Amino acid sequence: MTETMTSIRKELLVEASQETAFNVFTTKMGLWWPKSHHIGTAPMVKLSLENQLNGRWYSTHEDGSEVEIGYVLVWDPYNLLVLNWQINGDFKFDDQLTTRVEVQFIAESPTTTRVILQHHDLNKLGSGKTIQMMDEGWGMIFNLYKDLTNQLA
Amino acid sequence: MQTAENYDQAFNALGDPTRRAIFEKLQQGPLSVVHIADGLPVSRPAVSQHLKVLKEAKLISIQQQGTRSICELNKEGILAMRNYLDKFWDDALEAFKALAEKEERLDNN
Repeated sequence: MTETMTSIRKELLVEASQETAFNVFTTKMGLWWPKSHHIGTAPMVKLSLENQLNGRWYSTHEDGSEVEIGYVLVWDPYNLLVLNWQINGDFKFDDQLTTRVEVQFIAESPTTTRVILQHHDLNKLGSGKTIQMMDEGWGMIFNLYKDLTNQLA
Repeated sequence: MQTAENYDQAFNALGDPTRRAIFEKLQQGPLSVVHIADGLPVSRPAVSQHLKVLKEAKLISIQQQGTRSICELNKEGILAMRNYLDKFWDDALEAFKALAEKEERLDNN
């Protein structure tokens, strides 16, 4: 896969100071994060990011459960935030997985900030069963299918 | 390479929790429609409708084997997660920008 396939890059200009941009991104993530996007089993009530190195990144749900997303890899206010996104291609949390979400905050003026978000290592998201199945071809797929149908029979 | 239209379709298709559940089930391997419907809290016709949406988004393919329909992940579906995240970050950052700009205006007033 090419680099463009394994990472996502977003760039936007925000009419706010670098400090405000960084603070809203980190301390108010729960307010702007799309509520429909979580991997919990109950509806999400809150999304939290602990504002420190190694800080937890997780969602809280109506049934009181908490679901991990990842943690803070780099905490450098108000310039740089790097998060570890540990939700894999099966929409499951995987503590062995590292995909980096790098967010740069560049002051263009006292009231304008350029925000560059890059989500790297996306090839790892599919490194589980999906890729294995595809690499090993139809024989493997057929065996998985047979095992599964036997179990279900 | 998929087109922008495919990205949108894939994203919308995976925006629904039931369709995400079906997509996850199929990560384990191909399944018949009956087995997909097992354990899902929706009716068979609803499952068929969801499968149709996933098929149109090119995330899965459906083959007829005798009297059974067998579903499996489309090989192009390997790009689905990337497409999903691409659209996800667009939506998230748009909401972030709106809030940051609102906060900035409040700070200055």
